[in-house]
Amino acid sequence: MSYTVQFSQVTPYMGYLAGGACLSLQMAAISFFAGGTVGLACASVLEYGPAWARWPVKAYVVFFLNTPLLVQIFFFYFALPDVGIMLGSEQAVLVGMSLNAGSYLTEIMRTGFRVLRRSELEAAETLGFTRLQTIRHVIWPHICKVLFLPLSNQYIILTLTTSIAAIFGVEELTGRAYNVNSQTFRSLEVFLIAALYYVGLTFVASIMLHMVGYHVFGIRRKVF
Amino acid sequence: MLGIMVRLACLVGIMFVALPAGPAWARSLDEILHAGTIRVGINPTLPPLALFDEKNELVGFDVDLAQEVASKLGVKLEIVQVSAPDRVPFVASGRVDVVLGGMTRDTLRAKVIDFSVPINSENYGIITREDKSFSKLSDLDNDNITLVQVRGGAVISFIQKNLPKAHLILLDNYNDRDRALAQGRGDASFDRIDSMEYRLKIFPAIKWKIIPSPEFGVTYSGFGMEKGNYSLRDWLNIALYELHTSGMIETLWEKWFLRPMDTKVPVTPYF
Repeated sequence: MSYTVQFSQVTPYMGYLAGGACLSLQMAAISFFAGGTVGLACASVLEYGPAWARWPVKAYVVFFLNTPLLVQIFFFYFALPDVGIMLGSEQAVLVGMSLNAGSYLTEIMRTGFRVLRRSELEAAETLGFTRLQTIRHVIWPHICKVLFLPLSNQYIILTLTTSIAAIFGVEELTGRAYNVNSQTFRSLEVFLIAALYYVGLTFVASIMLHMVGYHVFGIRRKVF
Repeated sequence: MLGIMVRLACLVGIMFVALPAGPAWARSLDEILHAGTIRVGINPTLPPLALFDEKNELVGFDVDLAQEVASKLGVKLEIVQVSAPDRVPFVASGRVDVVLGGMTRDTLRAKVIDFSVPINSENYGIITREDKSFSKLSDLDNDNITLVQVRGGAVISFIQKNLPKAHLILLDNYNDRDRALAQGRGDASFDRIDSMEYRLKIFPAIKWKIIPSPEFGVTYSGFGMEKGNYSLRDWLNIALYELHTSGMIETLWEKWFLRPMDTKVPVTPYF
């Protein structure tokens, strides 16, 4: 009476699941770059902006850091239509994930800005660097070195977080795994394959981040 | 790099080897009687089959039915909460003896688990709003129609085959589906209509329209249990025969679904 693992009913769906994995990858990339832009803007305001602008930004960061992503997306998907704003499934998830990532990335980028020491900027000035040269040769390399690791970790987290989209009708990897599961009832097999696809997604991302980190910024990022 | 590949290979290897190796025994009828409890998997996201009441206790048709079965068996009922994706692993790993929650029987699923005789029929139709002009299923096969469905409904492949032009949004559960329809995110849903009277009460402002559609046919759901657990299945079949003939199942149905079962389950002493 013990359960026998049978992949034959699930293997025809491998391509279908791979299509979902592509969408997961795409969503992670979009929300990371959108979140990064939001984070960069907010961190700049918090560090260098006028006092009146800091308060709303601070409120945004605190709110999004302290509420669950699922609740945030639920709000964008199910609460906004009641005030006349109808976001599609993928739009609502991307808006939610980007704003959520934006709040985390704001905090990460702020730390990046703070590592710059006054002495570095003074040394650049003494050497007669123009403002652009200072940014190019002093500020940029230093900030990149500090930010690369936390940013790449955030990217991996985002890749796995895309699975939340299944709840809101997006046909990404988890959503498609649910579909196959309900047709075949081969839950163990389906979710094992989905898990391997996720390992694949993060593994590929890790290798790419390792190479970018090593060759561009001279940082060794562990793949495992 | 080599080390990484070896580690990954080991990890995957362990996952594949460990699964079939672990003994996952469902409990036979004797073992359930001996233990004095029957563990029933119940899915609380399918009201009125099961839902949480204001005291945060699980109630509903499935809960009452499970209680009836436990009383007939003379053992205590232990409810285990399950959800759509994990209910079969719960059965397969022996963490529940039987599972309820709209376990629609079909040949694909019966390859994985065993089913009892039917508990209830499941009837299908179009769920939409008064302001929409549909009157039959073929009206939905149009590319300006968006259907809002729940992942894993038995109807999804039917829709993809018979209404290929309609757009499809697949949501996580029936509550989200109802809300999405109420907000106008989609035009209609083709699904089970048995519970609609009960479900749509919470949207009193909206005029709903439910059109029964016989095209999909009627399905039946039963208890699900581990493949090969015949001692338990045979006993449950007899218990269900008694619960049907005594009218208990119809009584429970009307109590929770607020109307008679649309298609009566034909009861026969042979099974």
